[in-house]
Amino acid sequence: MSKTKPAAALAAALLTIAPLSAHADAAKDLQIAGRALTFLENGPTGKQVLGVVFDPSKPASVAEKNAVMAAIGGGMNAGALTLTAKPVEAGAVSGVSGVAALYVTTGVNVGAAAKAKKIITIGSDASCAASGACVMSVSADPKVEIIVNRSAAAAVGAVFKSAFRMMIREV
Amino acid sequence: MKKTLLAGVSAGLLVAAASAAHAQSIDYGSLEQLFNEPVTTSATGAPQRSTEAPVDMTIISAADIQRSGATDLPTILSRVAGLDVESRGAGASDVSVRGYNQAMSPRLLVLINGRQVYLDHYGYTAWATLPVQLSEIRQIEVVKGPNSALFGFNAVGGVVNIITVNPKFDDTGDITLRTGSARYGEVSAAKSFKVGERFSARVSAGAAKSDEYENTVGVAKSQLNDPSRVTANIDTVTQLTDKVELRVEGSYSNVQVSDMLSNYAYSPSKYLTSSVKGALTAETKLGQLQLSAYQNDLTAKHLILGQNARFENQIRVVSVQDLFKIGAKHTLRVGAEYRHNEVNTAPIGGAQVSYDVLSASAMWNWAITDKLAFTAAGRYDSLDLSREGTFPAGSPPLGNGYWDRKIEEPSYNLGLVWRATDVDTFKATAARGVQVPTLVDLGALQARVTVGPYTIGLAGNPTLEPAIITNYQLTYERALPALKAEVSAKAFVQKTEDVKGQPTSAQIDVAATLVSLPVLSYRNIGDSKMTGFELAASGQLTGGFRWNADWTHTEVDDEPTAGFSPLIRTAAYAETTPENSGNVSLGWTGGAWTVDGYAHFVGEHRAYALYSAAAAPNLVDIDAYAALGGRVARTFDHGVTVALSGQNLGDNRQRQSAGLEVERRVYLSVSKTW
Repeated sequence: MSKTKPAAALAAALLTIAPLSAHADAAKDLQIAGRALTFLENGPTGKQVLGVVFDPSKPASVAEKNAVMAAIGGGMNAGALTLTAKPVEAGAVSGVSGVAALYVTTGVNVGAAAKAKKIITIGSDASCAASGACVMSVSADPKVEIIVNRSAAAAVGAVFKSAFRMMIREV
Repeated sequence: MKKTLLAGVSAGLLVAAASAAHAQSIDYGSLEQLFNEPVTTSATGAPQRSTEAPVDMTIISAADIQRSGATDLPTILSRVAGLDVESRGAGASDVSVRGYNQAMSPRLLVLINGRQVYLDHYGYTAWATLPVQLSEIRQIEVVKGPNSALFGFNAVGGVVNIITVNPKFDDTGDITLRTGSARYGEVSAAKSFKVGERFSARVSAGAAKSDEYENTVGVAKSQLNDPSRVTANIDTVTQLTDKVELRVEGSYSNVQVSDMLSNYAYSPSKYLTSSVKGALTAETKLGQLQLSAYQNDLTAKHLILGQNARFENQIRVVSVQDLFKIGAKHTLRVGAEYRHNEVNTAPIGGAQVSYDVLSASAMWNWAITDKLAFTAAGRYDSLDLSREGTFPAGSPPLGNGYWDRKIEEPSYNLGLVWRATDVDTFKATAARGVQVPTLVDLGALQARVTVGPYTIGLAGNPTLEPAIITNYQLTYERALPALKAEVSAKAFVQKTEDVKGQPTSAQIDVAATLVSLPVLSYRNIGDSKMTGFELAASGQLTGGFRWNADWTHTEVDDEPTAGFSPLIRTAAYAETTPENSGNVSLGWTGGAWTVDGYAHFVGEHRAYALYSAAAAPNLVDIDAYAALGGRVARTFDHGVTVALSGQNLGDNRQRQSAGLEVERRVYLSVSKTW
């Protein structure tokens, strides 16, 4: 093989490696969500409960809820937090209590109910925060992305520390 | 091994937050864990993810430092793509970015936690004086290219900002004992601790000594020192209120090394440094406000042209800045700074040269879209030079008023970052940096030398113009998550205007008069251009392996003003800059064992040498070489690590510069962390 062929092959390989599609890894996303919560002014510390909001009529939502519950298991350390989880049906958000935040599965919108309860909502789908249905969207792959909806955050009284705000995307 | 990115503009410090209180200083560890990549403030002054910083930056992590097996910072920096490191002796090196390296290299700004530790009387870094133990460094941020809009004058070739662990966030402790060939001995310790909820501190100290490299090039014994150093540091953070934090740092170092002076002659130099710094940071409705002040004191003793010279240099810096975000898209920083820098004349004393600098700066980062961000930073510096004292007999008939001069220069950094896809990032940057003449250049150097039957004066030049460095760069970075790798390609163009040339006995700069001697001095001798590219790749393999490879190509073209020769002015950078350099490393971690190997390649080039004080420096050929290093370590219970490491392992003795030949050195170290 000539000297140029390995280089050409390498270049071709680099060019043909397609960007990976975003892969929802529940455990990684939850790590990001938990750590992001610690950058709230007067944010939670120690053991905290995450409400996992799902719509029982949507199989994808139920599946994601199950994945999140499994990922957290008996407890997940995320920065200064130790998260446990409890499932919350979308229709029951207005009555939920004892949770530090709500993790909203894809395709579910509980923005109004959560705002009324002054509870922070977190989704793994970027459109959740972009639309204002969530305060924050997080995703770990292929690169950590955090989106905060400023008006949704203001509605629940959530104030993130300024350094954190400078490093994320706000809408 | 290294997280490489590209970055480009402003100043800053603090700002971020941790989990508990309303923290002001940046919690690098928490943010790095959150974003799964290093975080920096050295690009714009605002906290940024390394991959999004609008400058060309490489971040060396604490793990990289530990695995390097190095005992000094220049060895670690030599493995960064595009950095040129020339060893002068076992305790002294000069470091530059993409060429233009020289004895007492003045183009690299070096800081520890934002405090400059390069020696401001002559703008170079005596690396052994840095009051930091390798074990207490969180990361080293290396910015390639000018970053004057953030850091001010002299951040022209690049910036090395050393970030230590922060006792407020990092609970660390380390003690290391190291011995090695050439009677090397070292002990260092660093520990952080907390007192109550609001006070934390980090204390560290270290000492090391060894034999100097064997003198095989004919340097007079009186010009060499066996290197030794003692350094200490204290760093405290006090949370005054939930929103206000005070950080106070103090340092000390006592060092002796074999230096190569800017005329390429060796000097058995001794340094005594101390510093104190305070930074008050408050999170307010107007943003994150910071007021900081520090003072650096230096005593530097050199042998210049066979004469003992003692420089007493003091700098005082006071700065204020506000960092804030407007809306969702705009982050801004505004700042102002006052700097006083003074030094005595030497070897002939009797006078003091000083300047005051007032600066104003601003940075604007605009997230135009989700994928596109623009950063602009600018700074304006106004320098007032002055001189007080007497003149030695035979000086040109000038009064101190001749030094009353103002230098006013703007600098800027512009950066566009486009994340085309989740894995592809393009960056375009432009920068203008200002290399202000040093106090030595401007008049602190004051000597009389004998050349043949003549006596000639040697003096600084208060009319010397600053060198202006403009730099343009394009960068493409691609992540290859399937391969756990990343690749990058960079192309850059740089121009230096008003290059400083050294005094030379081959050219009289001020003619003799009936009452004064002829004088040799520093002169602006023309321009120089540099073009080049850099290719880099790094990644991880299954089985615990990691790898890194890079290659940098630079071409320098000197364009002297009529009447000047870069060759005799010891500024022939086209000759002294290696066109090619690169690195390859391979590492493995398995269980308690860690093994790393490094190869650093430097292409053929030429280098100035001056072994006799009476002669003029001449260029000698330096053949291409590969410096090999490595480390094998095993970790035991209770945080104990035993490591065998070595540098320059390929040869007993290797010529890497025109100075002393570098020797193979091996080390055995035992460390305990908690």
